[in-house]
Amino acid sequence: MSQRINPELKKELLKFGAKDWNDCYHCGNCTATCQLTEREILFPRKAIRQAQMGLTESLASNADPWLCYYCGDCSDTCPRDANPGEIMMTLRRYLTSVYDWTGFSGMLYKSAKAHIVVMLVLFLSVVAAFLIFGGPMITELTSDGGVRLNTFAPAEIIAGIDHIVLLTLSFFLLTNMINMYYKVVLKDKTVHIPWYLYFTEIGEALLNFGTQLRFSKCNKSRMYWFGHWFLMIGYVTMFVLIIFFLSWFQTDNINVWYHPQRLIGYIITAGFLFGTIFFMIGRIRKKKQIFKHSHHSDWIFVVLLFLVAFSGILIHIFRINGLPFATYYTYVAHLAFEIPMVVTFVAFSKWSHLAYRPLAIYFSNMKKKTRELQLKSKLSVSY
Amino acid sequence: MEEIKIGVYVCWCGTNIAKMVDVDQVVDQIKFLPDVAVARNYKYMCSDPGQDMIIRDIKQHHLNRVVVAACSPRIHELTFRKALAKAGLNPMMFQMANIREQVAWVHTDREKATKKAVSLVHAAINRVKWHESLDKRTIEVNPATLVIGGGVAGMSAALEIANAGKQVYLVEKSKKLGGYAAQLDLTFPHFYSARQLIKPMIRHVEDHKNIRIFKPMQINQIFGYMGNFQSTLQLANGDETKLKFGNIIVATGLQPFDPSEITSYNYGKLPDVVTSLEFEKMLAKGRIETCEGKEPKNVAIIHCVGSRNANYHEYCSRTCCMTALKFANQIRSALPESNIFDLYADMRSFGKGCEELYTQTSRKNVIFLRFDQQNGLPEIRSTNGEEAVSMLIEFTEQFSKEQVEVPADLVILMVAMESHADAKDISHIAGISMCGNSFFIEKHPKLDPVATTSDGVFIVGTCQAPKDIPDSISQAKAAAARVLATIHVGTIEVDVITATVNEDICCGCQTCVSVCPYKAISFNKEKGVSEVNEILCKGCGTCGSTCPTGAIRSRHFTDQQILSQIQGLLSPDNKFEKM
Amino acid sequence: MDFEPTIVSFLCNWCSYTGADLAGTSRMKYSPNIRIIRVMCSGRIDPTFVLEAFKNGADGVLLCGCHPGDCHYQSGNYKCLRRYNMLKKYFVQLGIRPERIRLDWISASEGKQFANLADSFTETIRHLGPCKIKNVIETYT
Repeated sequence: MSQRINPELKKELLKFGAKDWNDCYHCGNCTATCQLTEREILFPRKAIRQAQMGLTESLASNADPWLCYYCGDCSDTCPRDANPGEIMMTLRRYLTSVYDWTGFSGMLYKSAKAHIVVMLVLFLSVVAAFLIFGGPMITELTSDGGVRLNTFAPAEIIAGIDHIVLLTLSFFLLTNMINMYYKVVLKDKTVHIPWYLYFTEIGEALLNFGTQLRFSKCNKSRMYWFGHWFLMIGYVTMFVLIIFFLSWFQTDNINVWYHPQRLIGYIITAGFLFGTIFFMIGRIRKKKQIFKHSHHSDWIFVVLLFLVAFSGILIHIFRINGLPFATYYTYVAHLAFEIPMVVTFVAFSKWSHLAYRPLAIYFSNMKKKTRELQLKSKLSVSY
Repeated sequence: MEEIKIGVYVCWCGTNIAKMVDVDQVVDQIKFLPDVAVARNYKYMCSDPGQDMIIRDIKQHHLNRVVVAACSPRIHELTFRKALAKAGLNPMMFQMANIREQVAWVHTDREKATKKAVSLVHAAINRVKWHESLDKRTIEVNPATLVIGGGVAGMSAALEIANAGKQVYLVEKSKKLGGYAAQLDLTFPHFYSARQLIKPMIRHVEDHKNIRIFKPMQINQIFGYMGNFQSTLQLANGDETKLKFGNIIVATGLQPFDPSEITSYNYGKLPDVVTSLEFEKMLAKGRIETCEGKEPKNVAIIHCVGSRNANYHEYCSRTCCMTALKFANQIRSALPESNIFDLYADMRSFGKGCEELYTQTSRKNVIFLRFDQQNGLPEIRSTNGEEAVSMLIEFTEQFSKEQVEVPADLVILMVAMESHADAKDISHIAGISMCGNSFFIEKHPKLDPVATTSDGVFIVGTCQAPKDIPDSISQAKAAAARVLATIHVGTIEVDVITATVNEDICCGCQTCVSVCPYKAISFNKEKGVSEVNEILCKGCGTCGSTCPTGAIRSRHFTDQQILSQIQGLLSPDNKFEKM
Repeated sequence: MDFEPTIVSFLCNWCSYTGADLAGTSRMKYSPNIRIIRVMCSGRIDPTFVLEAFKNGADGVLLCGCHPGDCHYQSGNYKCLRRYNMLKKYFVQLGIRPERIRLDWISASEGKQFANLADSFTETIRHLGPCKIKNVIETYT
C-alpha cells in the first residue's frame, strides 16, 4: 500500500524546534559515525528521510529517535551542517506529541507562550490553594528547635494531593504509552512479535532505564552521561519518596545528619543541582552539539528543576534553623514550582522520555529479534 | 624493377605491447622472410628516437618499404608516413600492423597473442611489397563556409567566421533562426533570459554582411571534398543557386524526446502532464497553470524521461537536472505556497555554479525524492476527480525504500535530448558517421571532438552529443577556428586513394557506374570504357570489387595488395617457438 | 588439444575497424583467433578475398560493416550484404558450410559488440571444426 506524501509535515515539524529540513542529502556520514547504529537501525538518517519526505505514518511508527542520546557526533560530521542530532531531538518532541492523544503536548511544545501561561496558572493555583486551605502559620518551634511544618502543610494531606496528581498523570502517561505501543508495534505489519519475546527482552530495557548503559557507548560524553544519570536517579528517588514515603520524609523533628532521611535528601538535591547547573552552563556556553540549540521546553525544564531543588534545600535550612515564616513561604514556592513542572512535563513533555526511551529500546529489541527469527525461518525454507 | 627492401619495426609501446606480445620473438620470426632487410624492436617507435631510427635505416640500408607493428593506424599512420617523407621515401610505401588495440590489449594468452602478432606483421610485409608511390594532390581551399543549422551553435560558428572577414552560407530548415535555445525562458544556473541572449545574436547574424542566410531551406546534396565542396539550393521562387565552399560546419541540433512512448507517464492522455519544453513555453507566457487555467497547488518534476534507460536512450542528456532545478526555483517564486516535488534518479549537477544551484534550491522547501529506473518508473494516474488533487504519482522511493504516492496537479517531464530527425539525412549528405544513438561521431572522442572522419566537415552543438549552451558555443567557436586555419593556409594536401580504370581491360559493362554512390564514374561512349572523376571519387572501393574484369584498381587497396595480405596472414610460417 | 580455428576478418575503416579499436582501448578481452584486415568500406570486400582466405587455410571469415543506413560511403554495406548472400549460396555448392562466413554490423561505438561477436563466431567455427577446403584444393591442383 502506498503512503501519501504529506508536504505539510515539514512545516509542522519546524514548530518543534529544528531550523531546516532541506540540507540533508543523504550521504550517510551520520549513520556511519553513530556509535549506536546497528544493522536494523540506520538512524539518524532513516528518520530524517521520513521527515523530509513527509511520511507521517512511517514516522509515527518509528521508535528510532528515542534510541538516540544526542552525543552530537552526527552533527559534527555532517558535511552539509544539516544538524542531524538536533533533528532527532525535534523528532522526539514531535513523537511525544504524536503519542499524546490529548493534544496538550503539542500545544506546550509548539508555543512557549502557551507553556508559560499554563505554568503561571498552575503556580497561582498552588499559591491560592495554600492561601485558602493552608494550616495555621505557627511560630512555636519543636523541642529540638525546628519549624512545625506539618502543622502548616500536613504530610498526609500533601501526600493525598500528590497521589491524586500522580494518578491523573499516570493515566495520561500510561494511555500515551499504550498509544506508542499501538503505533510502533501493532501498526507495523512487517513484524509479528512472538509472545515470549515480551518476557525475554524486558531485562535489557529495565537495565537501560536504571543505568543508561547504551548512553555510555556514545563516546566523549562521560561527564554528560554522569550528569544525566545522576539527575535521573535523583528525580526517580524523589518521586518515589514524595509519593509513597512523604510522612517519613517530611518530618518536624530534626534527625542527626547521618540519618537516612537526611542523607537521601542530600543525595537527591546534589543530583538535581549538579545536573541542572551542568545543563544550564552547557546551554549558555553552547560548546557541545547537544547544548547548541535550546528549545523553550529545555530551558523551562532545567530552570524549574533547579528552582525546585534550590527551594527544597532552602526549606531544609530554614526549618532546622527555626525560621518559621521563611520555611512556610519557601514551602509554598517549592510546591508552586513543582506542581507545574510535574503536570506539564511528566506526561506531556520532556520528562515523558523517561518512559518512552526504555519502551523504545524494548520495542526495537523485540522487533530486531523477530526479524532475525523471520530471516532464519526464511533461510531454512530455502534449504 | 628495383629490389624490394623492407624495414620492419616492432614497437613495445612501453609495456602496453611488450607485456602481452613477445616482441623479440616477433622480430626473430619475420626477419628471415624474403625482402626483409632490417627488423628491429624498440620501446616507443612513435617517439623522436624511434622515427629517427627509421629515417637512419632508410638512408643507410636503402630501404624502400617500411612496416611498423604498433598501435592502430588510425592513431599513428600519419606520423610514420611523415617520417618516410622526411627520409625521402614516398609516404605511401608504408604499412602498419595493429598489434596493440587488436592484439595486446584484447588477449590474455601471451603465446597466442605473439603468434597472432607475427601473422599480422607477415601480412603487412606481404602487402607493402605491392605498395606503389602515390602523389599527394594540393587543393586550393575555397574561403567560403557552409553552416547547416541556425541554432545557437550554428550562429556562433557563423559569426566567428564572418567576423574574420570570410563568407558564410547559413542554411536553416525552419523559418526562424535561434533553434531550441530561443524557445527557452531562463537559462541555468544564473537565470539569464534566453531570449535576451539569443535575440541580439540573431540580429547580428541577420545584419552581417558576410553571412548569407537561406531559410527555410533544406540541403539535398553536397558534392566534392575538403576545400572544394559545392551544392545547389532550390530557392522559394523556383530559382536555383549554386554555392561553392571549402568547409562545412554541421549544427543540426536536437529534438526533444517524445514521452508518449513511456506508458506509465500517460503523457498525451493526462492533460496536466507536460514536457519540459512545453513548460518553458508556459513560463515564457508568464503564468503557470493547469489545463483548466488554475494555479497548481502541487507540482511534480520527473527527471530522466527517456534518458539513462536502456529502453529509450542509455546516455545522460546532461542539461535536464539543472533545468529541473531552474524550474523548481521559478515555480517557487511564482507560487510561494505550492508544494514542489522533484523526482530524480541521480542529481547530476556538475560544472560551474551548478552544485551551488542545487544547494540553493534544496533550501527552498522542495521535496527531493529518488526513484530507481531499474526498479520500474513512477506511474502517473488520475484521481478521476475523487480528490482535491488531480493526479497521483506512485513509486518506490530509494532512500527510504518506501512505496509512496505523490500528489500532483501539474507534472513536468524532463525529456531527453535526441539528435534531430534530419541528422540522418545530413549524415549521408555531408558524409558523417553516426553512433548507435544517432549522434554524429567525432574524429576522436578525446583529441578531436570537433572534426569528423570526413575532412573539412565539422560538427558542433547538440548534433554531436547532448550539451548546454556554453558547451555548444565553445565547440562552435573551436570549429570556426579550425575552418579559419585552413582558409588561412589556403591549400591542403590530400591522399589520392581514388579508383582508376585500366582502359585496356575495361569491357564497358558499366556495372561500376551503377554502384558508385558519388556518381564519380561515367561511361565514355566514344572509347566504350568507364572513366573515374578523381575529384568526386572518395575511394570506397566498391567499384573495384564489382568490376568483373579487374579493370578498376582501388589505389592503395588494390586486389593484389589485399590478396597478398591474406596470404601473409594465413602463412603456415607464422608460428610461435618456445625458447 | 582443442582445435584452434583461424579466422580472417574484413572490417570497414570507418565503423567496424574503429569499433574493434574501441574494444582494445576499453581493454575488452576476446578470442585471439580473429585476424583483422582493414578495407575502406565493406563494399570493397571482393568475394575473391573471401575465397582466397579459405584457399589459404582460414576456417572462417567474418565481415563487418557500418549499420544499415550508416555507411560512410552511403551504400557500400548494402552491396556487401548482397555479395554475402550470394557467397553463402555459392559456398553450399562448393561444399563449404555457409556458417563459416558471417556478416554483421558493428558501429564505431560498439566495441563490446565486436568482442562478443568475435567470441561467438570463434565458438561457432570451433564447433564446426577445421575447414578442409585447403587440403582439397592442394590435393586436386
